[in-house]
Amino acid sequence: MSLELLIIVAFGGAFLTYFLGKISSKLRNSFAVLNALALVVIIACLYGQTMEKSFYFGFFSLPLILRNNVLSWFFAIAISVLGALSVIFSLSYMRNRERTDFYYLMMLLVNAAMLGIVFSGDLISFFIFWEIMSWSTCILISYNRGPALAAGMKYIIMSIIGSMAMLVGMLSLYTTYGTLNIATLSTLVASSSHGYLLFLLIIFGITFGIKNAVMPLHTWLPDAYAEAPSPFTAVLSGMLTRMGIYGFLLIMYVIVGAGATLHLGHGFFTFNNILAWLGAITIVIPTFIAMLQNDAKKLLAWHGIGQGGYMILGIAFGTSLGMAGGIFHTLNHAIYISLLFMSVAAIQYRTGGVRDLNSLGGLIKKMPIAFIGGLLGICGLIGIPLTNGFVSKWLIYKTLILNGAPFLAFAALIGTWGTILSVYKFLHNIFLGQLPEKYKNIQKSPFSMRLPIIVLSFAILLFGILPGIPLKVINAIDVSLGFKSLNVTLWGIASDSGTLNTINIFAVVLVFGVIIWLLFKAGRKAPKVDQYDNYAAGAAIPKGKYHYTVDYYNPFYRMATPYLKDFVDVFYMKIAKWTQNLCNTVRRIYTGYVGNYVMYIVLFMAFLILIQLKWSVF
Amino acid sequence: MNELGLLSNGVNPVLLIVVPLALAFAVPLIGFISKKIIKYIPVLAFLFNLIIAILLIPKVLHQPIIVKIGGFQPPFGINLYVGTVGILFSTLIALAGFLVSIYALNYIKEGPKEKYHILYLLLLTGATGVVLTGDIFNLFVFFEILCISSYALVAYFGNRAGIESSIKYLIQGSVGSSLLLIGIGLLYGQFGTLNMADIANQIQSASSPSIFVPMVLMITGLGVEAAIFPLNAWLPDAHSSAPSSISAILSGIAIEVGLYAVIRVLFTIFGASNFLMFFVFLGVLTLLIGEMSAFSQKNIKRMLAYSSIGQIGLIVFAVSLNTQYGVSAGLFQMISHTLGKGLLFLAAGYMIYRTASMDISSFEGIGKKMPYTSLAFTIGTFSLIGLPPFIGFPSKFMIIKAALAKEGILFTVLVGLVLLGTVIEGAYFFRVVQVIYFKKGNGNQERKEAPITGLIPMFIFALLIIFIGIYPNFIIKILNSAASELLNKIDYIRSVLG
Repeated sequence: MSLELLIIVAFGGAFLTYFLGKISSKLRNSFAVLNALALVVIIACLYGQTMEKSFYFGFFSLPLILRNNVLSWFFAIAISVLGALSVIFSLSYMRNRERTDFYYLMMLLVNAAMLGIVFSGDLISFFIFWEIMSWSTCILISYNRGPALAAGMKYIIMSIIGSMAMLVGMLSLYTTYGTLNIATLSTLVASSSHGYLLFLLIIFGITFGIKNAVMPLHTWLPDAYAEAPSPFTAVLSGMLTRMGIYGFLLIMYVIVGAGATLHLGHGFFTFNNILAWLGAITIVIPTFIAMLQNDAKKLLAWHGIGQGGYMILGIAFGTSLGMAGGIFHTLNHAIYISLLFMSVAAIQYRTGGVRDLNSLGGLIKKMPIAFIGGLLGICGLIGIPLTNGFVSKWLIYKTLILNGAPFLAFAALIGTWGTILSVYKFLHNIFLGQLPEKYKNIQKSPFSMRLPIIVLSFAILLFGILPGIPLKVINAIDVSLGFKSLNVTLWGIASDSGTLNTINIFAVVLVFGVIIWLLFKAGRKAPKVDQYDNYAAGAAIPKGKYHYTVDYYNPFYRMATPYLKDFVDVFYMKIAKWTQNLCNTVRRIYTGYVGNYVMYIVLFMAFLILIQLKWSVF
Repeated sequence: MNELGLLSNGVNPVLLIVVPLALAFAVPLIGFISKKIIKYIPVLAFLFNLIIAILLIPKVLHQPIIVKIGGFQPPFGINLYVGTVGILFSTLIALAGFLVSIYALNYIKEGPKEKYHILYLLLLTGATGVVLTGDIFNLFVFFEILCISSYALVAYFGNRAGIESSIKYLIQGSVGSSLLLIGIGLLYGQFGTLNMADIANQIQSASSPSIFVPMVLMITGLGVEAAIFPLNAWLPDAHSSAPSSISAILSGIAIEVGLYAVIRVLFTIFGASNFLMFFVFLGVLTLLIGEMSAFSQKNIKRMLAYSSIGQIGLIVFAVSLNTQYGVSAGLFQMISHTLGKGLLFLAAGYMIYRTASMDISSFEGIGKKMPYTSLAFTIGTFSLIGLPPFIGFPSKFMIIKAALAKEGILFTVLVGLVLLGTVIEGAYFFRVVQVIYFKKGNGNQERKEAPITGLIPMFIFALLIIFIGIYPNFIIKILNSAASELLNKIDYIRSVLG
């Protein structure tokens, strides 16, 4: 299977889907699913193959290269699987929406562009795919109209700023080294001066930091996640944002190289240390802001930012354990966050778009699969043992401890603590407690929604119990980036300070589970309390809805709210306002009075003469 | 290729000017026979020009053609200099002229149609003349033809806004033309010749103060039409009140021809390479002011007009870098701007026609009502922002690369400012795209597209934007050759004077 074929299938399929939609929506749906699955199959077949091929010379005779290596493959398979699942999920979610042809086109286009990004073997095709991804994402974010427009605008402005930074970095590389081939660059760049390397890392860091929503470049994310159509939010949160992580890996450890990256700066102010601290900040603040959210998607969105911090923390240290942790966390995060967004989407679909946590509740029995998805999702998000998030967080903690970074480790721990508090609210307010009257006749989600949820839930447990499956590939990535190999088994991983063995944990949990189950079995049978009567476990309560989850954590809110404003966002908005005012002022140059205009002409001439008299340039 | 060469051997570049000019004067006569066929005359004229220009390209790439009018050997008499630059611009003019004249078939329904077509032919004849001529006074004449016909066309609708902006344009344009004429006069007085190559040749040995004054006068005079800040105040008014087909030509062709003249005067005649740093700054300033002014516009055509100022700034910036790559980049950006802005004005024209308003907010939901036109508009905006895979990307790519190739922190800062302009541009263009597609329109939701004569030119523009965006190698050879023609003054002189 060749990579050109993959790209052709990906992009061609997207446009074909659109035109098939004009014929019949059934045909379009089946083709979209088929296309997405075909990509999974093609990419799966590429496993273990390393290839590099120039496929196009028409762009200023620069060879555009597609290449496959273990790093690209790892990201590509995650992108394609997630893409396929979310296309399947869209089938029923988007059924009665307008402009579905357009939606599928953009969805598959984003998918194709992401595949293009990870398979790009040179920076120019990387940039082209990156831009295609950016604008199609903006269009998808704006899809829901209303407040989505502002979200899309925020996204595209930050995204353009990022792209422009990358353009400068890329062209600076091009003018310095005369090539944009990543493989060639990686042999050339490492020997440059420290100043230049720092320039490269910072300028690309801006691009990827914006995409990965590293503080203080994160402000586009909450609105974008919340306003985008939910199946797309799954893709956006799962893989698209994490293209930033891919980018960081690419610039830090492929192009500049681990050896050079890790020795930039002095003392505390080394590049990777600063990055790690940014990562820590990105964990702590957003996680606590998440706690204040009452909008299910916004809550998850803030966690999306926070979890990105863990990944940054992992890869910033540049040890094989940390890299493994960061990359594995990227995958795990993709699984559980998209699972959570899909669960929310299923709820939205059945409740008519409700995502306000205070007006939901008690849906556990009505939508059991969504509940399981939500439960396993938050378990993964917190990092409860036997779920996938645990393993990657374990790796990251180990890295922090082994590198003697107690404060960062503490920040990561606080993040977990905040996560527990906030996601419990998420689970409780949607699924537990009292079922509001109006949702009494709600139905469970349709099959095409349940399937992706089940698959992803299964993946959470699978990678939690047998982390060796992905870790084997991740270890290969480590090795390919020049780090030393880790000792990975199917159910665990060894580090210098202890070994993780999930089978043992599994056995312990199983044994305890059985004991508890037996205890309950032996004990008195608990009375069954109706779902409408569960507020006081069967005791009498006032009539009508009495939902105690409103103002959950209220004392904490009062205490923390003033500090947990998104100051960065406020600041950016202020800049935007200033810019607008400045633009309005500048516009006044064109007064509309022709006398002034003629004066401008004369002044221009006078100015030219002045220059000549002063500096006699001519 | 061989046959093509044979075919082009018999083609005289003079036809590029003579045919549309003759047809312009023939329009009233043909009008006596039938009023209906008048509107097809510009289509035919520019189709003819397009074919001729394309046929000439291979030959010109090989060697510039010097046409001696009346057989006088230069520096006597008037000669045409058909180099790569000239042929590149004539092709572009013919292409835009052809497509816009198709668009005008249905778009121009009211008003003095006959005069529209005459003026339209004259405008583009003037433009072609400016880029082809090798005689400085001849350049002035063609320049005046271009300007005067555009003054008149701006006021075509005869409404208050049109006439007002036409008068403003006229006043500023006349100031510019007078300055230009004085400059030419001074040069003539000094060197006793009007042939550009001859002047360029003699100027090398002239004292600098005596040629500085004509240079300033000429640059200022031409700069008015080229829309360099602060000489561009006429532009937003004129471009927004003209009929959309004319706005497309004014934005896509007229100001770029003005800019061509500035570049030609600066590079070839005066060889003022040490003066160019000033133009680098001026370009960045023009860019930023244009983009910032466009940012808060609510009127779509004014927004596009200000965006043209920004684009001109970008071109000036690129060309003034004074490197082979920079000049090619600037020329590339001109092509990209002609195609992009042409497409935008054409699409906006029917959107305005449909909604009967130039307010951006009135375009809410028009993506449903006019899907193809909206798509064309979106492609145009994406291209102007510089997003791949559209033509704006390779041109911006070249400009930034050319600027970064100039060492030094100063250029890095300037690149930063240029890209800041792009960010602002992205913001206001995406806002329009969002309004088109993602705001629910009210009222009549019925789907009614622009007529086919409107869609065809838009389609061709869009196709070219995507094609060259994906395959910039298509024109890179011409651009490189054109850039070396502009940078290599000696060759220019030698090929004319022998």
